[in-house]
Amino acid sequence: MLVDRLLRQGAMTELVGALSSGRTSVLTLCLRAATRRGGLVALVDVDHAFDPVSAAAAGVDLRRVLWVRGEGRRRDALKAVDLLARCPGFALVALDVGESPPRLSLSSAFRLRLAARRSGVAVLLVGARRVVGGAASLSVQTRRDRLAWVGPSLMPRRLAGMCTGLQVVRKQGAPGPTEIERFWWTA
Amino acid sequence: MSRVACVRVEAFAAAALERCEPALREQPLAVVVGAPPVTRVVEANARARAEGVGPGLSEAEALVRCPALVRRPASPEAEAAARHALLDACLAVSPRLEDAAPGIVHVDLGGLRRLFGDDAEIGRHLGRQARTVGLEARVGIASSRAAASVAARVGPVVHALPPAGEQAALAAVPLSTLAWPVELATAFTRWGLVTLGDLAALPRHGVGARLGRAGLAAHDLVTGIDRTPFRPWTPPPFWEEAQGLDWDIATLPALVPVLARVLERLCARLVAAHLVVDVIEVRLALASGGHHTRSVALAAPLAEPTPIVALLGLEIEAHPPPAAVTAVALSARVVPRRVAPSGLWHPPAPAPRDLATVLTRLTLLVGGANVGTPVVTDSHRPDAYTLVPFDSAAGTDDDDVGRDTAGSDVHATHPAVAKSEPLPVAGPLALRRLRPPRRVEVDTADGRPTRVRDAGGLDAAVLTSAGPWRLSGHWWDTDAWARDEWDVALSDGTLWRLSHDRLTHTWLLDALYD
Repeated sequence: MLVDRLLRQGAMTELVGALSSGRTSVLTLCLRAATRRGGLVALVDVDHAFDPVSAAAAGVDLRRVLWVRGEGRRRDALKAVDLLARCPGFALVALDVGESPPRLSLSSAFRLRLAARRSGVAVLLVGARRVVGGAASLSVQTRRDRLAWVGPSLMPRRLAGMCTGLQVVRKQGAPGPTEIERFWWTA
Repeated sequence: MSRVACVRVEAFAAAALERCEPALREQPLAVVVGAPPVTRVVEANARARAEGVGPGLSEAEALVRCPALVRRPASPEAEAAARHALLDACLAVSPRLEDAAPGIVHVDLGGLRRLFGDDAEIGRHLGRQARTVGLEARVGIASSRAAASVAARVGPVVHALPPAGEQAALAAVPLSTLAWPVELATAFTRWGLVTLGDLAALPRHGVGARLGRAGLAAHDLVTGIDRTPFRPWTPPPFWEEAQGLDWDIATLPALVPVLARVLERLCARLVAAHLVVDVIEVRLALASGGHHTRSVALAAPLAEPTPIVALLGLEIEAHPPPAAVTAVALSARVVPRRVAPSGLWHPPAPAPRDLATVLTRLTLLVGGANVGTPVVTDSHRPDAYTLVPFDSAAGTDDDDVGRDTAGSDVHATHPAVAKSEPLPVAGPLALRRLRPPRRVEVDTADGRPTRVRDAGGLDAAVLTSAGPWRLSGHWWDTDAWARDEWDVALSDGTLWRLSHDRLTHTWLLDALYD
């Protein structure tokens, strides 16, 4: 499964990509998988951008989602993730830092990794660029490949989907970037 | 035949103080009222009574009889808390109780034999329950409340009278064993009555004619006849525990141990009644005469004192009282304890005490309005949702849990995109909301958007657009809304959901496909 390759208990994963590259869709996919397995997930949403309606439509069991809205306060969001990562029992703790990721010192990043390892929580960081650097056991980049529209090319009737390429840019114990893996997201 | 237990705590005012200060159990204790020099003893514990200290003595007289006597002023808060605690303890055994008097509870034992065994075993269970809340109780069991209350005062700690011959069993008990009003005791002595059987043998109407209502009550008591109906006690929605302080407390480090002690007593009561705290309120009486009240809503209901004390400490640290504290009172709103917090196939959830602590810290960090579980509202209005308190046990009774464990998150190829590329579909495309929506200027041609710009620097041509999707709602109400929605791909590489408000004729960027 794609999610099983992205997330691992007690480890940190970074998901970076530009706007409209599909990174939020990958995050939603992870939330869906974790909640469907009966796990509790926590989402720290810095920019208050999470859309419950589309998440529910994607199959996320919202009853098992703890949503923490950061209202733009990035330092508080990092503290919130640190608190949640130290609480054993969450299947996934996700941090969506949006377009302006905060700066995190290397020591803080490794402390976060240690907290996740001790509690056995999978931590997923989503943003425009990497935040924790070498502390992440896996860094994945999303790139938009193409869009699909239904109808005439000049005046399409509706958006059909988006193709996203996923490339592992860093993985602990692996030599270098892997090949790009492509998926479709349906609109 | 119905059976009733009378649970009785001797010297209740002293027992209530011993419950607050367990070290007093090892010392002779007298509860006193009044200001010096007219301070008088109103109650004494067993050690003090053994030294000859009893109600009615002046403090000076009591000290002469027992130099090591510890005196404490009567505490209505402690007595109220202990009275409630005894009821809570009995509630764990039977749902039908009567709050007869301070320190006296009548328990209906109907249907309890299958659960606990015979009368003596039920009595021992009641005694153990009372001990869990810090009170030593005597238990009398009989067929009537009157006989049970007599049995609770005489004989062994658990005194179960046989269903047949209860009156005969109590006939030999001396009248002096029971505390009678002075007038009645004098009359009984004058009449030459020595035992309960002597009084029970007298005709009831004759006793009533000579001694009035008090005499009738005494006769009913010794004959074991209940003249009043059983008045069931209903637990209040809030459970309270309090303690007065002999000295003022002005700092948080000194206040926290007091809070912990009060909370331990409250939690012991809740555990006995299979309840957990949902919301707890601390009310501090201040030396200035006022009160300082703070309330903490626990994210996860629990009955463990340590995390609740930590949360109360954080709350009081954030909102300190304006003056020194002279008394502490806790009031808890309770909910039933969940027996099974999660299903057999669910992964382990966070421990309630850990979760409660984390959620409270998150609330302090980002505000209570920003922590919770989203619930999609039943509405066609875009972005319609509410945030409700997080419940870690929600959805644990579902049968579909684990559905994805053996499957795949990559599904069959969608027909619409299969034509363009035979790649697997990972799932639906997610949206990132802009809250509030960003107002933009839009150029149009033939009604379709061609260029989008805003004051923040966005200026991009629309490469492709699909729409409009017309939506409206609440047209019958004051908050009517109507809009046309477009999916637009811009030249900067982003894919937006753009809407045109048909009531205000403004264009808004609602959300980003990501």
